[in-house]
Amino acid sequence: MKTRTYYAIITLVVGFLLFIIYTMPFIRSIIVSFMTWEQASKIPPDWIPKPFILSNYMKLFRIEMFPRWVINTLIYGVAISTTNVFLGLMAGYSFAVLRYPGRDVIFNLLLTLMMLPMFVTMVPLYVILRYFNLLDNIVALIILGMVSVNTVFMARQYFLSLPRDYFEAARLDGASYIRIFFEIALPMAKPLIIAIIVYQFLGAWNAFFLPVIVLKSPENFVYAQGLNYAFSRAWYVEYTPIIAGTIIGSLPTLLFFILFRKYLIGGIVIRTYRR
Amino acid sequence: MPRKNYFLLIPSLTCRRKLEFIEGFLLIIPSVLVLFLFGYFAFLYAFYMSFLKWNYISDPVLIGLDNYIKAFNELLRGLTGASWYEVPFFIGLRNVLIYTAIVVPIQTILALVLAAIASSRVKGTSVFATAYLMPGFTCSVIIALIFIYFFSQRGFINYVMNLLIPGFGYPDWVNSKSLIIPAMAIVAIWGTSSNFAILFMAAMQSIPRDVLEQSRLDGAGPIKRFIYIVLPFIKPTVVYAIIVGTIGALQMFDLSFVMAGPQGGIEYSGMTVVLDIYRTAFMQFDPGYAAAKAMIFLILMYIPTVIFLRKYGGGLK
Repeated sequence: MKTRTYYAIITLVVGFLLFIIYTMPFIRSIIVSFMTWEQASKIPPDWIPKPFILSNYMKLFRIEMFPRWVINTLIYGVAISTTNVFLGLMAGYSFAVLRYPGRDVIFNLLLTLMMLPMFVTMVPLYVILRYFNLLDNIVALIILGMVSVNTVFMARQYFLSLPRDYFEAARLDGASYIRIFFEIALPMAKPLIIAIIVYQFLGAWNAFFLPVIVLKSPENFVYAQGLNYAFSRAWYVEYTPIIAGTIIGSLPTLLFFILFRKYLIGGIVIRTYRR
Repeated sequence: MPRKNYFLLIPSLTCRRKLEFIEGFLLIIPSVLVLFLFGYFAFLYAFYMSFLKWNYISDPVLIGLDNYIKAFNELLRGLTGASWYEVPFFIGLRNVLIYTAIVVPIQTILALVLAAIASSRVKGTSVFATAYLMPGFTCSVIIALIFIYFFSQRGFINYVMNLLIPGFGYPDWVNSKSLIIPAMAIVAIWGTSSNFAILFMAAMQSIPRDVLEQSRLDGAGPIKRFIYIVLPFIKPTVVYAIIVGTIGALQMFDLSFVMAGPQGGIEYSGMTVVLDIYRTAFMQFDPGYAAAKAMIFLILMYIPTVIFLRKYGGGLK
């Protein structure tokens, strides 16, 4: 019995230390975002903002393009969430429920694409977008992200987990598979739809690699890219507004995390046990 | 009904099956077209491009293997001690290997510890679990921007280091040639270990309770149970995490772009391979050379992965 309490104490101590390490950057940033830059760069660090100021956030919103970055990101997120839900659900439903020659070959070809890294395709993608005159346009990002292999895979797994009888019964009544999709599969897929939206929206909010390649003028930037742009010009002057920007940037993540933790974690787990 | 014409293409199927075939294809065609265009077509295009001399505007000229020879030469010259500004590809490869060697072992072990604590039955640990998972969903650029402040000379990290190791000094991590890669590694470990912890937690939950219970009755302590029962059980997941972690670390771009800057930092000290490919394609306007480097790096990346999978991936489908 004694060794057991001993181990429990060790677990708690190590767990608490790691808890500090994993939360400290967030806590410290929140505190610092209300400080003057002068106070924020003190050593040893101050913990209570004095004076307590909101000007870091105000300064951020005074950057002319800041609201545009937020709006661009929202457009991007909403657009790819919507397209991913429809295209991904359609494909996932077809791969899971219908039976036709070539289905598994095509699905495996899609899965293989997960192994193809972005750094190989980024130059051709740039050239294709350039050909269609879509560079420096948020539409290009939306087209590139309109459906992902991940979404198709998640949708297929979901429909595979439903009993086939639902679809077969409707089939015997003479409904076409496309009608069954709209009338039966779609209404049953609510958890899946939430998971896809959460994933795609957060993906858009956190996107950096593609935006850096596609978008050139600052007024078209998305959030992370814009914040980095603002940072690269303000570093030596004052850093606290950038910290305020990181806090605003983590808000959607925090919100989604609190509301939809189950779906976020489920998505990661699904991706591990593919096939 | 235009459908009737398509029936003729697949004569061996019954009418009902034909309909299913057509409907199935109608449903997947938008996704498949888009994904194949941006995946397989782009890949083939990149392969073709790697044999071109081109600057997006000029007429493309086929130059055979010249781009590949140039890339291998760059690696060779780097090995024989050419100056840093001549061989960004080599410097990037070296940096990224060091970075991966730091990140992957630490992040995997840390993720195992996090998962073990989060799924232990000691009271109070479930509160910690939520905190461990937050960084994994936060944008890497935002994490990098927070940490740039922590890594500054009068920043939090130097303060803590001096508390732990008196006389550590006050280095400027991000602007130091030798400390920028460790700084990036720390940011990456902090940011991604939680993603792998989630995988391990899920794997640990699938271990049958009675197996653990039996070993407990047999008198095995928590550490013994972890090494002899939990670890073998989740080995496929650990192998998967190591592979995914390695592939991800080798491709690092955003941390370097934000922390070292798009120029690759002081004397390319923060350069990575993908950043070099990006610079070659979009700053030096040499897409052919960029594509050749991308092809070489793709092969370099997957050969060790395949060997590792052959050796340890027995339980992995």
